[in-house]
Amino acid sequence: MTMGWALVEYFARVLPPEVREPVLGDMLEADESAWRALRGLFGLVVLRQTEDWRSWRPWLAGFGVALPSSFMLMGVSLSVSWSYMRLLCPDMLAQASLTKPSAMVVLLWQALLLIGWSWTGGFVVGSVSKRTLWASTVLCYAPCIVCLSQFHAESMSRLCLFLFLLPAVWGAHRGFQISRMKFTSALLIAVALTVMIVPTWSSARIQTLSPQNILMNWALSIPAWYLVFTAWKRRHEPQVEHAA
Amino acid sequence: MLGEFEYLLITAAAGLSDDAYGAAIREAIETHTGEKCSIGAIYTTIDRLETKGLLKTWMGEATAQRGGRAKRMVRVTPKGVQAASDFYNVVTSVSRGVAWATKRAGSTT
Repeated sequence: MTMGWALVEYFARVLPPEVREPVLGDMLEADESAWRALRGLFGLVVLRQTEDWRSWRPWLAGFGVALPSSFMLMGVSLSVSWSYMRLLCPDMLAQASLTKPSAMVVLLWQALLLIGWSWTGGFVVGSVSKRTLWASTVLCYAPCIVCLSQFHAESMSRLCLFLFLLPAVWGAHRGFQISRMKFTSALLIAVALTVMIVPTWSSARIQTLSPQNILMNWALSIPAWYLVFTAWKRRHEPQVEHAA
Repeated sequence: MLGEFEYLLITAAAGLSDDAYGAAIREAIETHTGEKCSIGAIYTTIDRLETKGLLKTWMGEATAQRGGRAKRMVRVTPKGVQAASDFYNVVTSVSRGVAWATKRAGSTT
């Protein structure tokens, strides 16, 4: 293998195996030069991305979910970190008029919501537009980098902002793998998340929320309901096909 | 309605029948149009047509000539045949009476 073809093979790794194999085979069969093959591959990658961005899917995944969720979930991560610190500091507990057990409930409640919102958001991003996952990842991390440079709190580590990342990456990975959830699982998660946000705005003991925060809670629950919708749609798809 | 390149690809695949795969379709299009056709255009169009349900693809055999790499075989679906047929009818219908179509019809008869 020449140096040029080694470069072609290396560059071809950006393509999934089911595309890479026949494309490289076709190029070998056509006896193309390494330079022409490289140019062809580059053209293919650019055309595939252009084609992808003509659909609504990458826009929804990147600008509809990854970017806004990243901002909002950093706020939730900070709330969870704050609740944890409050649990460790008796003065702060007294200030908030909370007992230790109730503060623990608040922390657990918030942590579960954070995991649920991050996971479902990640799942939607990973499943809606797999071929543009790189762009969604950039749009998710960009606000993180901005906030990382802006965030200054002596009592808190900057890493507190990123508690959402682990469940979000886990969700994106699962979404990438399985694409759609089972209807019952999706419904269970969505209902659980929705039920869990009700006490956060109905009881001042859990958390005092502004209208913006209430709106944010509902916005963060949208991906979970989107998963319910897609699972429901899938459930009805075979019947439509059979009918046709 | 199909685009012109989509029509070319479906027609080339239909003509090649069981031997329709990326490189063969590309060669057929280049032979008939006399123009170079990029591998990117072939594969993105195949993907798009498959998403629309006009083509079906599957991985075929690997040959030594291809460095042991599999072919992506292509078959035109009934929906694809219908779409290509509709495109052809539109082109022949709209071309009726124009100078180049009349000249061609005259030269073939």
